[in-house]
Amino acid sequence: MRVIGIEKRRPLYFLLVGLLVYPVQALYGTEAQMPYVLELPTGFPKPKVPPDNALSIEKIALGRFLFYDRRLSGNQSQACASCHQQALAFTDGRARAVGSTGEVHPRSAMSLTNVAYATALGWANPLLDSLERQVLVPLFNERPVELGLTGKEEEAFDRLRTDLRYQRMFAEAFPDQRDPFTLGNVVKAIASFERTLISGNTPYDRYVQGLDDHALSEEAFFGGRLFFSERLECFHCHGGFNFTASVTHEGNPFDETSFQNNGLYNIDGRGSYPPDNTGLFEITHIPSDMGRFKAPTLRNLSYTAPYMHDGSIATLEEVIDHYAAGGRTIHSGPYAGDGSKNPYKSNFVRGFVLTEEEKQQLLAFLRSLDDPEFVTNPRFSDPFEPWACVADCNYDRTVTVDELVRAVGLALGISPLAVCLPADPSGEGDSTIDELLQGVQALLAGCQGTPGMTRP
Amino acid sequence: MKMNWRKAVALFAMTPVWFAEPGRWAMAQDVSARFDHRGQCVGDRNGDGQVTIDELVAGVNNILDGCGYTPVEIRFAGHVGDEPFHCGATYPNVGRNLGEFTPSDFRFYISNIRLITPDDREIPVLLEQDGMWQLEDIALLDFENKTSPCVNGTVQTNDTVRGRVAPGTYNGIRFVLGVPFRRNHGDASVAPAPLSLTAMFWSWQAGYKFLRVDTALDGYRIHVGSTGCYYAQPGVVGGCARPNRADIVLRPFSPQDDVIVADLAALLADSDLGQNEEGTPPGCMSDPGDDDCDALFRNLGVDFASGQPVAALQRFFRVMQRQ
Repeated sequence: MRVIGIEKRRPLYFLLVGLLVYPVQALYGTEAQMPYVLELPTGFPKPKVPPDNALSIEKIALGRFLFYDRRLSGNQSQACASCHQQALAFTDGRARAVGSTGEVHPRSAMSLTNVAYATALGWANPLLDSLERQVLVPLFNERPVELGLTGKEEEAFDRLRTDLRYQRMFAEAFPDQRDPFTLGNVVKAIASFERTLISGNTPYDRYVQGLDDHALSEEAFFGGRLFFSERLECFHCHGGFNFTASVTHEGNPFDETSFQNNGLYNIDGRGSYPPDNTGLFEITHIPSDMGRFKAPTLRNLSYTAPYMHDGSIATLEEVIDHYAAGGRTIHSGPYAGDGSKNPYKSNFVRGFVLTEEEKQQLLAFLRSLDDPEFVTNPRFSDPFEPWACVADCNYDRTVTVDELVRAVGLALGISPLAVCLPADPSGEGDSTIDELLQGVQALLAGCQGTPGMTRP
Repeated sequence: MKMNWRKAVALFAMTPVWFAEPGRWAMAQDVSARFDHRGQCVGDRNGDGQVTIDELVAGVNNILDGCGYTPVEIRFAGHVGDEPFHCGATYPNVGRNLGEFTPSDFRFYISNIRLITPDDREIPVLLEQDGMWQLEDIALLDFENKTSPCVNGTVQTNDTVRGRVAPGTYNGIRFVLGVPFRRNHGDASVAPAPLSLTAMFWSWQAGYKFLRVDTALDGYRIHVGSTGCYYAQPGVVGGCARPNRADIVLRPFSPQDDVIVADLAALLADSDLGQNEEGTPPGCMSDPGDDDCDALFRNLGVDFASGQPVAALQRFFRVMQRQ
């Protein structure tokens, strides 16, 4: 890579880089494998982290690459991110997800918003009680095929082994292992990245934390009153800081999970749901668990349409109509039936009457739970797209001396790659002298053009 | 049991060594160390509540000569009817409708293997811990070799269980088709072989597929494993509503002269390969609502409604004389 203007002043830049070596060794020599503390919004508790998979910056950075890496599917056509796209709050915009072989999943891809707090992963599986257990399902599920890696994981790891960046990142995330390219490590890294997908910078949060009394519009404020009322009953299943009852956190000895039948179907008049989507019943075989699904978080709803476990409701307006009716009536077809009379329906889905004004207020409240920063945060974005501002370790579009020192530490092998992924835009697992010089230029002259997720 | 003078001298010579080793004396004082894992007094072979000189001498002989287990190999063969299983081969006349059958995978776990004596005692086979096919009392039998269409498979195959057993006469065998409960629900992502094969993971059920049979053409698949599992405490499976482990008893059976045939045609004899219960996955994935499983489970020797073994029903395994 060549940057205009660098060539003739090369010796000066080399001197500058050289001067940075000393402070790097002094300050950042012990940065590797430092315990990582999640940055949490005000009012958010600490999520539980399994004792055998403590968070580290190395695992999180590695997990981010793996999450976006298509080489982790059997036919290399999909990554986790294919169905969990950041711009859509880590959903895919489809009613039902489509796997790497084209097979259609019976369910809709769930949002990963604040997934670190979830007590049961997926729509209706109490057995998936940790992200580490859950990761295995999309990787190896055969009914339907999702990433389609069953029996092919060693081939996939061989693909990763040839990647210079991964050679460094696996070794730094899992030091002292003879061969760190293992399924256990892949799972731990992806789970670590997913735990960082925290969203709490919304008008609602700024209002309730007392940070901004005007963050909520008057319309949204009254919508909130409706939401938290016994008249509408929304908050019973969608309450708490994460707007779901299926939540836990550090220090909470209870892992509550709320699975509810919300009256979407009643095929035979005896409560049956479509046979490929029976909910909790599929796992427990208990008849009264028919049609019970997890009440998901209501954060970032504007990005996660269509709604429900099978994506069968297109808009938020229709979702409100569904609950107002106390269930859904399907008049014809194989799934015809009056869902409001489903014998297993939750007591809280009783129906209510809203004026048009109240409906708009409720919608405004639900939209106040959107977090635009979450869906654009470069820390959660596709790391295979290099950040245009070289050595901008914290993605704030300016390069500081401190960041350049980190980049030099990375080039010297003192710091792990994870401390500054933007210092390696070429992706060979190192910060070359050319890349460092680009960083120096960014420090002195500012980031050129409009830095963003485009190739420099 | 005779005590010869060499053994007496050897035992006498060992005594100071025994006492000199640190910790030994303390261990001997530990009352619990004097009972085995079944609660029986160590050294009391006939269970009369006391250790006689004869029993002690047998123990001494085991110290000096080793325990004298005999190696045993139990041979299996994957079949479709009378024909050996081959990836991608097409077999005619399989199932109730006598259709064509082209398998693309055939693997299963067995565990708790015992040989049966003529007087009906069951003697456990201690498996060689080979780091690959056998772990504790679990063995994986694998008849596919990754050739097309067995693309999710492994190049390596395994048709033999290797272990050791107390010397004696045996005329039968008993084993469980499945991974034992204590090993079925751990962290699969870091499990040792043979519990490390992702094709046998059954992650959405928090367990393993005990038996996996795939077919190439119509997607008919058989995944047998425990269902209806639940946590008793966070992260710890307390049990499963339907364990779906078959209890296989084969008699007469001679480990030296016979081979155990696992016959997919017998397993599928009462299933209609061309038909599928509407709204359920093709074949049988142990889903209680899938009527396609009923006949198949019967031939495995499992009552589909309860998931409990009914050994007399099974037709999947049979004994054949070695060629």
